[in-house]
Amino acid sequence: MLEFRHLFCSTIAAVGLIFSTAHSYAQQPQSDPGDQPGLIADDTYELDPEWQKQVVYYRTTEAPGTIIVATAERHLYLVQPGGRAIRYGIGVGRDGFQWQGLLNITKKAEWPDWTPPPEMIQRQPYLPRFMAGGPGNPLGARAMYLGTTVYRIHGTNRPDTIGTKVSSGCFRLVNNDVSDLYDRVPVGTRVVVRQKPEL
Amino acid sequence: MRTFRGGLLIGLAVAVLVAVVAIIYEFYDTRTLKRTVRRGEVYCGVNVGLPGFSSQDEKGNWTGFDVDFCRAVAAAIFDDPAKAKFIPLEASERFKELQNRKVDILSRNSTWSMSREQNYDLYFPAVAYYDGQGFMLPRARNIESALDLNGSKVCVQGSTTTELNLADYFRANNMKFEEMKFPKLEEVIKAYDSGKCDTFTADVSQLYALRLNMTKPNDHIILPDVISKEPLAPVVRQRDDDWMMIVKWTLYAMIDAEELGVNSKNIDEALKSKKPEVMRLVGTEGSYGEDLGLTKDWAVRIIRHVGNYGEVYDRNVGAESKLHIPRGMNQLWNAGGIQYAPPIR
Repeated sequence: MLEFRHLFCSTIAAVGLIFSTAHSYAQQPQSDPGDQPGLIADDTYELDPEWQKQVVYYRTTEAPGTIIVATAERHLYLVQPGGRAIRYGIGVGRDGFQWQGLLNITKKAEWPDWTPPPEMIQRQPYLPRFMAGGPGNPLGARAMYLGTTVYRIHGTNRPDTIGTKVSSGCFRLVNNDVSDLYDRVPVGTRVVVRQKPEL
Repeated sequence: MRTFRGGLLIGLAVAVLVAVVAIIYEFYDTRTLKRTVRRGEVYCGVNVGLPGFSSQDEKGNWTGFDVDFCRAVAAAIFDDPAKAKFIPLEASERFKELQNRKVDILSRNSTWSMSREQNYDLYFPAVAYYDGQGFMLPRARNIESALDLNGSKVCVQGSTTTELNLADYFRANNMKFEEMKFPKLEEVIKAYDSGKCDTFTADVSQLYALRLNMTKPNDHIILPDVISKEPLAPVVRQRDDDWMMIVKWTLYAMIDAEELGVNSKNIDEALKSKKPEVMRLVGTEGSYGEDLGLTKDWAVRIIRHVGNYGEVYDRNVGAESKLHIPRGMNQLWNAGGIQYAPPIR
């Protein structure tokens, strides 16, 4: 079962989110939350081979078209027919901000706007109340909403955070990959989120 | 009086005889576990040099997937992964050398096959790495399946099972191909790199290793299709059950550890776990280690010093290595692959 913690998207990072980049460098705290609103995504950034999109062998009982998120591996699989899957590198929730379960994609959006929720604003009053979609938005080029939760599969303006665990529970892909995935999956797609077992 | 003395003499002779037989028996004891423990070191037959699996640096340190497996066996027995001595063996001599007791275990990318077990009186306890023949091709061709290779010019090493598998696969799927044969693997890759063929076939692990030396490695992909079975496994001698059990369960403990989420970083936390499966693995419940002739913490030793299966995979051939071979078939059975270990219970 999902733990419906009142957490917000990775993009709404927990610590030290500062709106303006120029300002942010002066005030950037030691712990890097992996988000920098306003920073324009470098879409020429070359991912490590491990995080590059590729077709891999993948045996599963889930039907083709299903998305399987392997949190511990930092991979997102889109199941294909014939024992294969398209594998994308992702950034996942940091320790304590990870979850497991079955959901559906309930909504899709291109260059989504960002409205940090009240809890977030309360914690970090310096956050923008609203940020229009665009290349500087931490949600990146596309977002796919998961069920009625606050979690999303989305793009990023920080391609260097792919392969890391920095978010508050969301799954981020580089903009090229999230756009590719977006075009392949309709609203209603099953999303299975898997976790490393607890000791 | 005479009979007493005679009896004493006979008694003494019997005692000496028994002692001599015992000493000879002990000396010629063929049980590998006893010999290894007495020697204080595991002798491992490894590949002379194969990136990711077994190679030696300038300082003489060995690294690789096969090397780490042998260290895991040493860790299980001696609580010290350094108690493994590596003996590089050529492909042609490896099984004979194991048979002749020059090594205790062969951990040398060897394909498990029936004839190898039969002809050399050997035993492959469990599959450590599922390899198989695959295809490399330019990324720009945008092909995602081997079934789309109809009409391709294929570079292949001649007079190998690779060549036969290639022909079988294309014939079975009603596809045509043009073969470009070369006697050496280096020549095959060179020909492919210079654009003489549309695709290049070899074992998947080799394709990833060879890609590293290409002009533009990232311009080439390796298809997920695997068209032959090359189950790589450690090898031991037959009729040596205590030893075989240790080698087999060392591998299974590493796979089970990954499945249970136990790794070298959280092993101390795992020792406090109240989950029965974890408790059996780390020896806080049951006497699985003692039953193997080892200690309660046999699996803890393996995981602490060497790591679980996924850690060893990632470090040597996967995410953290130069090779970046996707887990593929070697992923756990419940995470997309076929790697599966019987439970410890």
